[in-house]
Amino acid sequence: MTAGVIDFLQLTVAGLSAGSAYGLVAVGFVTIHSVTGIINLAQGEFAMVAAFVAIALLAAGLPLPIAGLLAVLVVALGAAVVERVAIAPAAGSSVVAYIMLTLGVSITLKASVLLIEGPQSKALPAFTGGILSFGGVLVRPQDLWILAATLVAALGLYAFLERTVTGKAFRACAEQPTAARLVGVSPARMSTLSFVLAGTVGAVAGVVSSPVIQTDWNIGLFLGLKGFVAASLGGLASIPAAIAGGLLLGVVESLGAFYVSSGLRDAIAFFVLIVVLVARPGGVFGRTQAAARV
Amino acid sequence: MTRWSFRHVCALLSVLFLLAACAEEAADPVATEPAGEETVATVDTEDGGTEATEATDTPDTATETGAATATETAGDADAEEGPIRMGAVLDITGPGANLGGPERDTLQLLTEQINAAGGVDGREVELDIRDNQSREDEAATQLTSLLQEEVDIILGASRTGPSLAMRPLAEQAEVPMISLAANQAIVDGSEWVFKTAQNDRVVIEKIVAYMETQGWETVGLARDASAFGEGVADLFRDVSGNADIVAVEERFATDATEFTAQMVSLRSAGADVNVIWGIPPAAATATQAYRDLGLDTPLMHSHGIGNQVFLEVAGPAAEGVVFPIGRLLVADELGDDDPQKEVITTFVADYQEAYGAPPSTFAGHAYDAFQLAVQAFGEVGTDPAAVRDYLETAELTGISGVFQMSPEDHSGLTSDALVIVEVAGGDWTLAADQPDGS
Repeated sequence: MTAGVIDFLQLTVAGLSAGSAYGLVAVGFVTIHSVTGIINLAQGEFAMVAAFVAIALLAAGLPLPIAGLLAVLVVALGAAVVERVAIAPAAGSSVVAYIMLTLGVSITLKASVLLIEGPQSKALPAFTGGILSFGGVLVRPQDLWILAATLVAALGLYAFLERTVTGKAFRACAEQPTAARLVGVSPARMSTLSFVLAGTVGAVAGVVSSPVIQTDWNIGLFLGLKGFVAASLGGLASIPAAIAGGLLLGVVESLGAFYVSSGLRDAIAFFVLIVVLVARPGGVFGRTQAAARV
Repeated sequence: MTRWSFRHVCALLSVLFLLAACAEEAADPVATEPAGEETVATVDTEDGGTEATEATDTPDTATETGAATATETAGDADAEEGPIRMGAVLDITGPGANLGGPERDTLQLLTEQINAAGGVDGREVELDIRDNQSREDEAATQLTSLLQEEVDIILGASRTGPSLAMRPLAEQAEVPMISLAANQAIVDGSEWVFKTAQNDRVVIEKIVAYMETQGWETVGLARDASAFGEGVADLFRDVSGNADIVAVEERFATDATEFTAQMVSLRSAGADVNVIWGIPPAAATATQAYRDLGLDTPLMHSHGIGNQVFLEVAGPAAEGVVFPIGRLLVADELGDDDPQKEVITTFVADYQEAYGAPPSTFAGHAYDAFQLAVQAFGEVGTDPAAVRDYLETAELTGISGVFQMSPEDHSGLTSDALVIVEVAGGDWTLAADQPDGS
């Protein structure tokens, strides 16, 4: 391969790795939005908190895999608590009120972590060390872990939604809330479930990407913004589209930083958001009509 | 419930994300303006748009307030009694946290020490430390608030951007300010502003001198996109007198986490040596990316990495990194005839005892600023003009170097203040090759 091709593939790999984390966070936005209509501004904080929980458990002497899984579990349960305590009591409020509530949750989580962990960034160790070379394209094993975790989380979510009764009830609630209610699906329970699912995927993103991004108390904002852009690419309506949106955004950022200007890296995501909202408000992968829920 | 269209929700969200970005600021009580002031610097975050204009609004307000403050103080005989009030604005949270944290600790330690020893001329030292969250606008807000409280001197900020945001306020309020940051622009042509970190110019002089000893002719540069990295490429060309010395210049955000694009670009450029100009953790993660992408060209850094955090985050990737920095990191390797040896070893021991960890070079910048201020107060009291005039001639054997201030040079350090340090065995060591024989 020529040097140019190697560079291109190298950048694509980096983009896919970063984009996986965006995609997982985006899935969190979609699961909550599709069932409850809420945009959860604390989505990035789920990832941030999970990484810090994993780091703390690791420091307490637990092996890395157990620390990681426990952290995901803790955050999934924590997300359920958040829904019960902060969101459910406000049932029937306007969209603005819900957004304010999730913003409050986000600030509370950030400030708590800042208070407990301090301002310095921390990171989990890479799951496996070394470096792999594919015909000159160098890949960190952690990049593969991130891609694999995204794949597993996405397939797991798919299996859950397609193959289990609870999953089907969840989809029913997203597609036809009234009809779902008539056949005995509780929207309140499904709302809690949506937070659990969002917490789980967010936590997975936070834990697997921690070794490469250096988690600090404020990283949730960055992940949340990128995840939101990724979810918007998919019209905030479909889980596969959210993951594809995340991967696309990661790759566009990485290539743009190299071929256009490295100084523009972070501007690219928001430029993409503006273009998508103006040209295709239903999402790149979605309908051009104003988006219906799922 | 009425269904909002997707567009409405998104428009609302963009505003909210902006709000989220400045949430802490909104929570921070901003000092109220004195009566009779027309302009208002309080942050109005009802609409995310005002955020951008705030930074430009603030200076005007501060001018009026600060100027009033200065004249009052000067005409007030009581000002030479009572506690000495030092204000500090540091990057304690945000991407500059690895700088501001140790600086805060140092200032607190020195204040305790000096008060335990009876203060300056029997006057107690009061220290008011503010966090600027590594943001320019917040630095200006906090400085304005400190100026209203009539502090006798301003220390900070930790990084160039916030320091540059503070400079015009201090100049117009006519209150002496000592920055802890690197970029020469902070003190170029200033009347009231001084600084203790080595100028980026002298750092680049040292790098270029080291390149000459190694026979390297071109440099690939990946630099911080903030004010800290601004102008670095031009300085390389200027100092070396070679317009083509910079083979490639790439940028990364201070809080960046992904560096593949920049490092691939350095790899393609194939310069003799690559320089990453940033602060940890970004500088450390960039170093990891550099190694991960298989670059084996020698790697140099700036004096921005003189912090244990760099070694911790970069790990094995840091091995072999070479960079110019003050003598603090290699205190135990200094010869007994080194004029800074005593002051450095005393500070290291005190800091280690108080905080259980060795001080970073940033802690050293704070130490120097504090000592310069105390020296001035001890000699001429707290009259701002007298303090400023004294600082322009101040001499200090400090941590970052031996200072010799002058009206033309408000930084007071030459490239002699720097040595070339290499990372070996996970620790800082004095490099074998030292340009200028230092």
